[in-house]
Amino acid sequence: MVKRLRDYGLQSERLLWPTKGPSRFEEELGVEELEQALGLTTLDKAVRWAQTKSMWPDTFGLACCAIEMMSIVGARYDLARFGMEAFRSSPRQADLLIVSGRVSHKMAAPLRQIYDQMLEPKWVIAMGACASSGGMFNNYAILQGVDRIVPVDIYIPFCPPRPEALMEGIIRLHEAHQAGVPGAYERREVAT
Amino acid sequence: MTIAPERTRAWPLVGEPPYEGSRIPARVPTILDVPPALRETDDILQVNFGPNHPSTHGVLRLIVDLDGERVVGISAVIGYLHTGFEKNMEQKTWWKAITYPSRVDYVSYQNNELVFVLAIEKLLELEVPEKATWMRMLLCELNRLHSHLVFLGTAALELGAISMFWYCFRERETILDLVEQVCGQRMHTRYFQAGGLAEDIPSGFFPECHAFVDWMPHALDDYLTLLDRNQIWLKRTKGVGLLSAEDAIALGQSGPVLRGSGVDWDLRRDSPYLAYDQVDFRVPVYTGCDVYDRYRVRMDEMAESTKIVRQCLDKLERMEGQPWIADDRKVVLPPREELHTSMESLIHHFKIVTEGYRVPEGEVYVAIESPRGESGVYVVSDGGPKPWRVHFRAPSFAALGATATCVQDVLIADLIAIVGSLDAVMGDTDR
Amino acid sequence: MSFEAIPGFVELKEGHGETTVVVEREQILDACLYARDELGFRFLADLVATDYLGWDAHTVSGYIGTPAGRDLNHPMTQGFQAVPQPKPKRFSVSYHLLALQHGAPRVRLQCWLDDGDPVQSVVSVWPTADWHEREQFDLMGIEFTGHPNLTRILLEDDWDGHPLRKDYPIGGEPVRFSDAE
Repeated sequence: MVKRLRDYGLQSERLLWPTKGPSRFEEELGVEELEQALGLTTLDKAVRWAQTKSMWPDTFGLACCAIEMMSIVGARYDLARFGMEAFRSSPRQADLLIVSGRVSHKMAAPLRQIYDQMLEPKWVIAMGACASSGGMFNNYAILQGVDRIVPVDIYIPFCPPRPEALMEGIIRLHEAHQAGVPGAYERREVAT
Repeated sequence: MTIAPERTRAWPLVGEPPYEGSRIPARVPTILDVPPALRETDDILQVNFGPNHPSTHGVLRLIVDLDGERVVGISAVIGYLHTGFEKNMEQKTWWKAITYPSRVDYVSYQNNELVFVLAIEKLLELEVPEKATWMRMLLCELNRLHSHLVFLGTAALELGAISMFWYCFRERETILDLVEQVCGQRMHTRYFQAGGLAEDIPSGFFPECHAFVDWMPHALDDYLTLLDRNQIWLKRTKGVGLLSAEDAIALGQSGPVLRGSGVDWDLRRDSPYLAYDQVDFRVPVYTGCDVYDRYRVRMDEMAESTKIVRQCLDKLERMEGQPWIADDRKVVLPPREELHTSMESLIHHFKIVTEGYRVPEGEVYVAIESPRGESGVYVVSDGGPKPWRVHFRAPSFAALGATATCVQDVLIADLIAIVGSLDAVMGDTDR
Repeated sequence: MSFEAIPGFVELKEGHGETTVVVEREQILDACLYARDELGFRFLADLVATDYLGWDAHTVSGYIGTPAGRDLNHPMTQGFQAVPQPKPKRFSVSYHLLALQHGAPRVRLQCWLDDGDPVQSVVSVWPTADWHEREQFDLMGIEFTGHPNLTRILLEDDWDGHPLRKDYPIGGEPVRFSDAE
């Protein structure tokens, strides 16, 4: 049983103007197949789909995790299939900040500045143990977790995470965003 | 307050170059000052190559003074990755502290681990079995290949030869597969122990390593074909970033930077450690003192490393069944099967794991030839289970000190090539 | 290679195949010049400062534990098997030198100082010492007189204290279930 447009709650001009015949577009498609030839979505979902499929990261490689981040751009763990191989150097053009590596207190100010320069919507992935929690460096020099200064969406453990682990994190972020989970910058309980 | 001693001889004063003909900046050796004549004019633009930049390897900040496109002043600010390794390692037992050195120079991680483990063994005066020595050499040469591949990929990427990145990382993935097969992890393998290796070499490793070693010369030919006669590459790297041999020695350079300036010095050959005196390899030296020659030194070193790996493989294949770690039960864990039967083994295992082994009192400095140059560690032990002081001699720290000397009379685009050719890893610089 | 002729020579120690020459702090610049020009050590590999505060606090363990007691929850409080050799002063500054000659001869020049004592800078002898001395000033608080640019290098410019000293805490945050580390 084919669902008609009115079953979706949509008003087409045929309902509003009952005496009007099919339009040129409908004639070409065939009147019965109109509903089957259309993809129906909401604006939010369409926008989120576009954002997910081309989420460009910022070149924020700090330490060892940066080397593994470079290897996902390589040919084996190809990040280009997710539309993300364009690492933008300017934070104004980037959507995603992958904090890869240990963040020292000296680097914390530039990190926050880069985060502030990114335009919404923006996401942050804390890659590796050092970015998530300070890692093995529980000392005077390292910020104990990057979520103290920027709101983080995804935490990826291990030291350094395998490229597959980083991609799992990225894919979960895509799925979360596509499903409508608001980014961390919108949630009030984290540092914004 | 002390009294300054009488001058018994004329020594070079700060403010004068160390010798005639030196290009090292006179006032501060690591800062290139804008010449006073230019400072008066309004033409100098100060640009900040901030810590987050696609072309500076990691978090290096350069404050560059530009006259048009010419670089007339530079000063480097480091410390954005200072991790406090040395303080952290003082808190851990010797066993746990071995995890830390890998992260210092995170591209040639096994070389850093090796140097710390060699220092512990020197203090303990521990004999390492032959199999462990040769396997350590094999892994360090694979690590050298890995490091030079990362250098080549990123240096070419910054100069615009973007496709080199994918070629180099293809070989890098093969090397990491080999490393993962042996050590269980791609990077920061904690495979070296005080006394040898943590585990025996798995059986499928040798055929795969042979296959890689047979393929690698073809890959090197690929890279040379792409870059070596490329006119743009030659124009951008030849004659750029000159550093004379005298200046290089005075600035503490070592490794490919020193050999690219014509000084024939390689710790593997001149002060051999592990089993480097039993393998046959050539040390490439070029006299051009520029970025191109440093790149050629690294390319030739990759070919030599492949030769060394092949020789290690031949030797190791004949050592099946030999011990891979020393027998000293006060330092080395006993094999697991013994724990079921021997009480002493159980007690030793418990004491080593909880309390840690004791390293006799003393101080040592051990240096090896890492892909970046002379990488050393100074260890002071108080006779206890924890190190008293650990200090890493970082080749990248010295290399970045030479930036001011190399960038005299260059354009800003050449600055990128020069900083790339010094091959500084910021984890190594800032520790 | 005779090290006794170095200006300010105090003693020569050999250990683990390495030679350590202790010189007077006030004459370290003369000693370094002599080492570079007369003995041929043109390469400064490393410049390290070590803090020995608390070195004498080590005691030998008896069967039961140290005089201060033994805590079974902290396995490493048993004390030592031998008391380490006492050190003359609180800080030592070691210069690791290398001669680029056959056999790669190395030597460690060492001088001892108390807190607040300045050391002459060797930037005029080996320009690479510039950043090494800044790092030791930054992390250990050793003052190098005659250094053209003695400012903090690894830590922020307004950092308080010198982290690598033994009386500076490790920092970080307390972690559940592991008090010491």
